[in-house]
Amino acid sequence: MEKFDKSLSSRPFAWPKRTPWSLAGVVGSGNLEVLLEPNPKSPGKLECRVESSIPGYKDSWIAALDDFASNYPAGGIKATIHDQGADPIVVTFRLRQAYGELLKKSS
Amino acid sequence: MSLASYDKRARNKAERIRRLRRLAKGKFVASKNVSEVLKRIIEPGDILCLEGDNQKQADFLANELAGLSRADLHDIHLVMSCITLPAHLELFKKGIVSQVDFCYAGPQGQAVAQLLEAGKFPLGAIHTYNELYARYYVDLTPRVALIAATQADRQGNLYLAANTEETPAIVEPTAFSNGIVFAQVNEIVDSLPRIDIPADQVDLVVEAPYPMHLTALFTRDPAAITDVQILMAMMALRGIYQKYEVQSLNHGVGFNTAAIELLLPTYGEELGLKGKICKYWMVNPLPTMIPAIESGWVEAVFSVGGEVGMERYTAARSDIFFTGRDGSFHSNRAMGQLAGHYGVDMFIGATLQIDVNGNSSTVSKKRITGFGGAPNMGCQPTGRRHPTKAWLQAGAESNPGPGSIPGRKLVVQLAETFQSGRVPTFVEELDAQDPSIKKALKGVAPVMIYGDDVTHVVTEEGIANLAACRSIEERRAAIRGVAGYTPVGLKRSKRETQALRARGIIQLPEDIGVSPAQVSRSLLAAQDIKGLVRWSGGLYDPPAQFVDW
Repeated sequence: MEKFDKSLSSRPFAWPKRTPWSLAGVVGSGNLEVLLEPNPKSPGKLECRVESSIPGYKDSWIAALDDFASNYPAGGIKATIHDQGADPIVVTFRLRQAYGELLKKSS
Repeated sequence: MSLASYDKRARNKAERIRRLRRLAKGKFVASKNVSEVLKRIIEPGDILCLEGDNQKQADFLANELAGLSRADLHDIHLVMSCITLPAHLELFKKGIVSQVDFCYAGPQGQAVAQLLEAGKFPLGAIHTYNELYARYYVDLTPRVALIAATQADRQGNLYLAANTEETPAIVEPTAFSNGIVFAQVNEIVDSLPRIDIPADQVDLVVEAPYPMHLTALFTRDPAAITDVQILMAMMALRGIYQKYEVQSLNHGVGFNTAAIELLLPTYGEELGLKGKICKYWMVNPLPTMIPAIESGWVEAVFSVGGEVGMERYTAARSDIFFTGRDGSFHSNRAMGQLAGHYGVDMFIGATLQIDVNGNSSTVSKKRITGFGGAPNMGCQPTGRRHPTKAWLQAGAESNPGPGSIPGRKLVVQLAETFQSGRVPTFVEELDAQDPSIKKALKGVAPVMIYGDDVTHVVTEEGIANLAACRSIEERRAAIRGVAGYTPVGLKRSKRETQALRARGIIQLPEDIGVSPAQVSRSLLAAQDIKGLVRWSGGLYDPPAQFVDW
């Protein structure tokens, strides 16, 4: 088990008046879930919390989250990831899915 | 003074046939006499061709051949497409073969690597299919060819049914050089549905005690297609098929391209692409093509081989598939490969390993798999002259100089950044570059598709347009940019990646209008094999291993 928090600079997300949340994926073997929630305290930061059942991949997690924070305006979002040994190829995909869902709910 | 003679082959052939005496009644041999017949018609030093590709095998003749000893047969120069059966390996273990030239050893890759290491695999070279067929007409013309057909009539005409495959490419050079063509057939009948090989190109026929080996190689169960494969399929459709208006194409045989086929009637239709893309295909009769065909997307399909279970469906769709006068499906491996080389605007397929320069390979350190046909499609046909919109558009992007071809074939690699078990697809150096493998292959690393030929790499992270790169450094940066969190990807510079994205060389799903939130298995036109059967109106007969209802 590996748990860590990481705060990454990101352009602010354009929140609507009511603040939605989104969830992608499931916590199951070989999969993971991504929960995105508003975090009004730090509008210029993507705050991440990762809990992974497989230790030793912290650098890869941070690289993936850092790319995400620079590719998308994700400031003011709190991302919680529960990983159950997901294939690495699923990580960015689930982040993007949750983000797309958040965009849809915000438009 | 004696005159030189120039008909030795003809006289030697007559001598070999004479040696058979009563073992053959005309052209016909009883199955119990086959091993004795083989002993008498094959001589030391012969180039012997054994028919066998990745689908169809002259397995009865191969088994009889493997039953012979080194005293019966030796110094054979074996030429064949695919080393796949235990009988093939037996020939090497017995030391019958003095040289082998072949294309592919997929399922026996590990055994071949072991034989090679033990010095029991006297390798000439590994080829692509058409490269080997070409050599049958140049310096590897078979003296004896052992082939497989579905039926023979009493004259020795042959019917090849759906799996014509490589039979004509073997028979012609053998028959027209005074070689001996020996066919195993499933049955001998009074009259054939159609004649695929005329009797005067056939010397001997045996009715085999069991039908020839056929593999259902291209059946992909939609139930096994993943969300990530669907995402990549959507990206390919928008970022490549739509962008270049790809009309003619070849698909690989993996789940990635199956996902694309199954998205055409749903996502493709939604994008308004029907009639604009994917009209002409060089592919085998893939069951996952059924929904697109039934929805009116497809004008024509030409195939290198058949697919078990697709016989009734293809016969009932003769506007789409090539069929004989008897109404049944026809394939031709050599011509299909030629069509895939010169005739199509795009090759798209998956790969197991790709290096930072864009070279790809399916060879690993313990397996020698060879090439098969992919390199004939996944390459730039520099002899092409006819223009199409896709070809010219891709050519313009790669900025041809005054001495280069104006167009370019799209050669697309679909690669999830990791294989199962967290094995990275992207590597700094291919396993194929391993010194022991290179040494065994006389200094040539077995690269399936060269980076110079690739125009696009699609991963779950994004699309890299290699054709638009202006230097090898730029190409490497583009590959690192979509290589995700593999060691190759982790070495990318963020600034460089962003600059390439700004120029459109790297595209993320959002850049081409693909929303990952839209990804769902419900987008697949069929969810499983049963769904394909329904789409076919009951004409598709899936092989038993795919039937779970």
